[in-house]
Amino acid sequence: MKSATQAPQYRLQGAGLDLALPYLMLAPGLTIVLGVLVYPLWDGLRASTRAYRYGSPVADVGIQNYVRLWSDAQFLNALWVTVKFVALSVSVEAVLGFALALFCLREFRGIRLLRTVLIIPMVITPVVVAIVFRLIYASDAGMLTALSEAMGGGAVQILGNSLNAFIGLVVLDVWEWTPLMFLILLAGLQSLPHEPFEAARVDGAGAWRVFADLTFPMMRPVLAVAIVLRTIDAFGTFDQVFVLTRGGPGEATRLISIYGYDTAFKFQQTGYAAALFVTVGLVVLGLAFSAIRLLRRIDAS
Amino acid sequence: MSSRVTRILTTSFVLAVVLLPIYWLVSTSLKSNREITQEGTLYPHVPTLDNYVRLFTEKQFGSYLANSLVVTFFSVAIALVVGAMGAYAIARFRLPFAMERKVGLFLLTLRIIPPVVILIPVYLLMLSLGLLDTWLGLIATYTAFNVTFCVWMMESFFREIPVDLEEAAMVDGDSRFGAFRRITLPLAAPGLAATAIFAVLVTFNEFLFALALTATPRAMTMPRGTATLIGRIDTDWASMAAAGVIGALPIVFFALLVQRHLVRGLTMGAVK
Repeated sequence: MKSATQAPQYRLQGAGLDLALPYLMLAPGLTIVLGVLVYPLWDGLRASTRAYRYGSPVADVGIQNYVRLWSDAQFLNALWVTVKFVALSVSVEAVLGFALALFCLREFRGIRLLRTVLIIPMVITPVVVAIVFRLIYASDAGMLTALSEAMGGGAVQILGNSLNAFIGLVVLDVWEWTPLMFLILLAGLQSLPHEPFEAARVDGAGAWRVFADLTFPMMRPVLAVAIVLRTIDAFGTFDQVFVLTRGGPGEATRLISIYGYDTAFKFQQTGYAAALFVTVGLVVLGLAFSAIRLLRRIDAS
Repeated sequence: MSSRVTRILTTSFVLAVVLLPIYWLVSTSLKSNREITQEGTLYPHVPTLDNYVRLFTEKQFGSYLANSLVVTFFSVAIALVVGAMGAYAIARFRLPFAMERKVGLFLLTLRIIPPVVILIPVYLLMLSLGLLDTWLGLIATYTAFNVTFCVWMMESFFREIPVDLEEAAMVDGDSRFGAFRRITLPLAAPGLAATAIFAVLVTFNEFLFALALTATPRAMTMPRGTATLIGRIDTDWASMAAAGVIGALPIVFFALLVQRHLVRGLTMGAVK
């Protein structure tokens, strides 16, 4: 069993029980994952082809649940709201995060404090983040209203108005997740090689030229990964909306996850909700895999 | 000079944007409901700790906190042990049909799917097993989620450790598993710490499954218990704010304590 092409790991060959070791080491983790994630995934697929009453299946309906989705105005609206929310939040976060990372690249006093403070929004429980923003937006008790009244204005309406509530939700997401974008991009910037930048400085290139010709192209892969990670994550946003607006007013902030949750637990349409979530899962996986392919192409060029 | 002014202004602006909402949460939690809704003060004129006392005397926040700690501890501890072994197997062994690589890819794929996708079947599973509203139901669910990323994260930490050290230990008479336990595991300790911290954060903060799987203070976690305060008609802003502070405090304190490991965990993978 010795050849030059084999991985160095192969040199480690024990005897007896050691031969079974890799399987024994993989088994516990796989068992848990198969039981609690993969079986439900399969069960969800099965549930999505059935009609339920009071939590138990009553009929097989084939792909009917899936067909119904595409003529369900509420589903299509939820999908549209989700896409708008994700696109808007993630692009604002990417721009702000990148700007902030560039700003913090130079060492100066106060930067440690800044970095420490920026950790807070993304580690706070999302439910609490939503409470924080309710306390800001509330028209009777909120910070905005209190500020407005202190300056002689009236109550500020955020959560009662469709457009304002949607923007309010985006602002919440930007507050919570720009720091993550910032940290990833800062780590990326710090890992760039120094030589090209020194050469550019010797050549007397201006700040904008350096950014456009060096920093941005070199940062493209990291930026792409950060955006993909955030996009996938934002697609599943639930907690913050559940606490902040519950999807309202009307359907203005009803993301796909909220609609699915209500379909299952409020309207008790278990099979239909399962079909909805299978569809969401496929969309996200599709997004992720095309993103990975895109990244490989960027890497190659 | 002007660049210094810009720097100071930008830094103060960012600090204000991050800290002002948190100031408002804490300040609201120290006011009475009357002061909040009727006077609209910008800071607590008559500071009181009543809201906090009420959470623990009338609203069972003690149970929520205890449930959160138990569930987080067990699901992270089990996932770490099980995940470390799995990650090691994937990092070090070459199995027939590249099985170890396929398992790794499979776990990564599971990680990409948003958890909400399996919410309904997990609920049905726990319903049929009689595990709704129990610690065990939550622990099983969180452990499974944690395993997928513990394996993924720790695999790269194990790869960084040279294989020669294990070989030397085996020459000295250690078994394969003994070499893993005595040599590799201690060397991977910083990586394990980063993984554990990240897992604690995600598990402690989880809300969606806690919402679907628990219904009473018997098993409700902090985020889930906090959400019960939010009624249809919100009047008790003061309790809500105090609950927010209590819910956020342990995790923010923890995060600042382990900041360096945390940043490593959050940014890794993206930059590599």
